[in-house]
Amino acid sequence: MTTQSADREPRAASEPSDAQPITPAGTTSPVRKHRRRLPFVIRRNSRSHVGLIGVGVVVGLAMVLWGGGFGQFNQGQLTRVMIYAIAIAGLNIATGYTGLVSVGHSAFFGLGAYTTGILVVRHGWSPEATIPVAFVVCFVVGLVVGLPALRIRGLYLAMVTLAFGVAFPEVIARFSDLTGGAQGLTIRRAMLRPPSWSGFSLSEKGQWLYWLCVVVLILVLIVVHNVVRSRYGLAMMAARDNEIAASASGVNLAVVKTSAFGLSGALTGVGGSLFAMYLGSLVANDSFTLLNAIALLTGLVIGGEATRFGPIIGAIAVVYIPYYTSDLGQGQAAAVLFGAALIIIVFIAPEGLTGAFFRVFRRVLTVIPVLRKPQPPAD
Amino acid sequence: MDIFFDRLFSGLTAGSLYTLIALSLVVVFRSSKTINFAQGEFALFCCFIAWWLTTKGLPIIVALIPAMLVGFLLGVVTERTLIRPVRRRSETAVLIVGLGLFTGLNGLDGWIWGPANKQFPEMLPSGDSDYFLVGGARLHYDSIGIFLIMLLVVGLLSLLFNKTSLGLRMRAVATNAESASLSGVKVGTVLSMSWGISAAISALAGILLVPVLPPNELDLSSFFSILIFASAAALFGGLDSVKGAVVGGLGLGVAESMLNGYATFLGGSLQLTVALVIIVLVLVFKPTGLFGARRVERV
Repeated sequence: MTTQSADREPRAASEPSDAQPITPAGTTSPVRKHRRRLPFVIRRNSRSHVGLIGVGVVVGLAMVLWGGGFGQFNQGQLTRVMIYAIAIAGLNIATGYTGLVSVGHSAFFGLGAYTTGILVVRHGWSPEATIPVAFVVCFVVGLVVGLPALRIRGLYLAMVTLAFGVAFPEVIARFSDLTGGAQGLTIRRAMLRPPSWSGFSLSEKGQWLYWLCVVVLILVLIVVHNVVRSRYGLAMMAARDNEIAASASGVNLAVVKTSAFGLSGALTGVGGSLFAMYLGSLVANDSFTLLNAIALLTGLVIGGEATRFGPIIGAIAVVYIPYYTSDLGQGQAAAVLFGAALIIIVFIAPEGLTGAFFRVFRRVLTVIPVLRKPQPPAD
Repeated sequence: MDIFFDRLFSGLTAGSLYTLIALSLVVVFRSSKTINFAQGEFALFCCFIAWWLTTKGLPIIVALIPAMLVGFLLGVVTERTLIRPVRRRSETAVLIVGLGLFTGLNGLDGWIWGPANKQFPEMLPSGDSDYFLVGGARLHYDSIGIFLIMLLVVGLLSLLFNKTSLGLRMRAVATNAESASLSGVKVGTVLSMSWGISAAISALAGILLVPVLPPNELDLSSFFSILIFASAAALFGGLDSVKGAVVGGLGLGVAESMLNGYATFLGGSLQLTVALVIIVLVLVFKPTGLFGARRVERV
C-alpha cells in the first residue's frame, strides 16, 4: 500500500498548485479553466493529505492546551462540551450511521451517570475506574433496547426509545434506596479526588476532569472513526440506506443493528459517567429527562448526522446556546431555539453544519482515494 | 367490591382521556401515515390558551372554544408549512420536525406564560358532593361527563368519516392517496383538515385532562407521559382504527388502575414502564394492533 502510493506520489500532485491539470495553452475556454482549477484534488495518504491532517491535529492540540489554561468556570463549560460530544458521538452511531433514530438516549446518559454514582458512593470505587463499568452496563442495556429494532423501524422504533427515555426517571425513582430517588444522589467532593499518579490535588479537580475528558473524547473519536471505516461500519450504513439490499448482500441485520445500538448506548453511557463526575449530584428528574434526550438529538442534527466532527459542533451548540440565552424568555429560550434549529436544519441543511461545511469545502479541496490495483482472490 | 368499582371508575376516566389523545394520533396517522410526536404539546399549548383566557375572566367552558380553534389552526398551519414539504423526503425528516415542534412549543409555552405550574379550572362539576354511589363506590359527575364527551367525540368522528363528503375524501386518502388524487380529491386539503381536527381533539382532551390526572395542575411536562400512554393505547388498538383507539384507551386506563390497586409489588410507580412494555410487545408481536389494517409494503 505505502510503496504503491509512494511511487504514485510525483504524479499525484503533492501540492495543491500542482493539481492543475496539464492542458495545452489556449485550447480551453476561461470558464472551463476556472472550473478545472477548483477544486484542488489531492490523494488520500499523499504527503499533502497527511500534512493537512497534521495541521488539523496541531490546531486541535493547541485549542485543547489553550482550554487547559482557562479559569475554572470556562474550563468547566469546555468539559461539559466534551462530555456532550462523547454522548452525541454515541448517539451518532445508532442514529447517524445505522439510521435507528433514538429519542431516549438520555436514559443511557443517566444509566452511565448512575453506574458511576452508585459505585463511587455505595462501594467506594475511584471515579475513573467506573468508566469501563458504565461502558459495559450501557452496552448490555443497549443490546436489550436494540432488540426491538429487529422488528421495528423508523417512527415506531423512535416511539419505543421515546418511551424508554420517559420511563427512565420513573425506574430510578422506583429503586430509591440505591439511587437516592427524588432527592438525588450526591457524590461528595472528596470522593472525586483525582488519583495520586495524575499529580493533581483535590482543589485541581476541574483540571483533572478536563484532561480526563480530553483523553476519553479522543479515544471515543478514534473508536468511532475506526468502526465507521471498518466492514462493520459499511454494514451499518448499508442497513441504514436500504435494509433489504443490505440483507441481500450478506449483511446480518440482526447483529449489526443490535450491536450498533449497544455500542451507541455504551458510548453515551461513558459520557454520562463523566457527567456524574462533573456534576457530583444526580437527580433523574432534572438531568435525564426527555428534554435532555431531545437536546442530544438536537446536537447531533445541528452538528451533522453521520459526520465525524458533528458531535463536537453539536455539543458546543447544546452547551452554549442555553448558556447565552438563559436571560431570555424566562429561561425557556433554549428550548425554543433548539426546536427552531431542528426544523430549520431539516429544511435548509439536512446534513448539519459539519456536513454543510464539508460540502462547501469539497468545492475547494477534494480528497480522492488511492486507486488500488484489483487483486486476484487468494484461493 | 366498592374498591373494585372505585378502581374501575378511575380507570375508565383515565382511559377516556387516553382515548381522546389516541384518537387525535389516529386521525393524523390515517391521513399522513406518521405519528405526531408533538400531539401532546399541541394540547399543552391549547390548555395554556384556555388557562390564559380564564385569567381574563372567561369561564372555562367558553374558553374551550377559542382554545379548540387555536388548536385547529395550529394543526392546519403545521401540516401545510412544516410537515408537507418534508413528507416526501423521509420519515426521519418528519420525525425530526415533530421533535422540533415538541421542544419548541414546550419552550414557547414556558416563554410566554412562565415555567411555574398553573392552577387549572375544572370544566365539569367536581365538588366533594358531586357524586352518586354505585355498588358502594363514588361515581363522580366529572367522570361521567368525561366518558360521555369521549363517546360524543367518537360518535362525531364516525359520522364525519362515514356520512360526510369530507370523511369520504379522508378515507380515500387514507386508503390510497395517489388514486384519491387522480379522482380529483384535493389531498393537501384533506391532510390539513385531518391535522386540524386532530389538534382540536387534543385541545379538548387536554382541557378535560389537566384537572383530573396527576399532578392536577398545568405543568410544562404534563403531556410527556400522556403522549406515551396515548401512543401505547393507539398502537394497541391499531394506529389507523378509531375503534382500536377506544378499546386501547379504555383497556389501558382500566388495566393501569387495576395494576396500581392490586399488583402492589410495582409500587404504583412504574406506569410508564408498563406502557413501554406494552408498546414493545405490541410492536414486536402484532404491529397492526388489534383492529389495524395490515399494511403490505412493496419491495
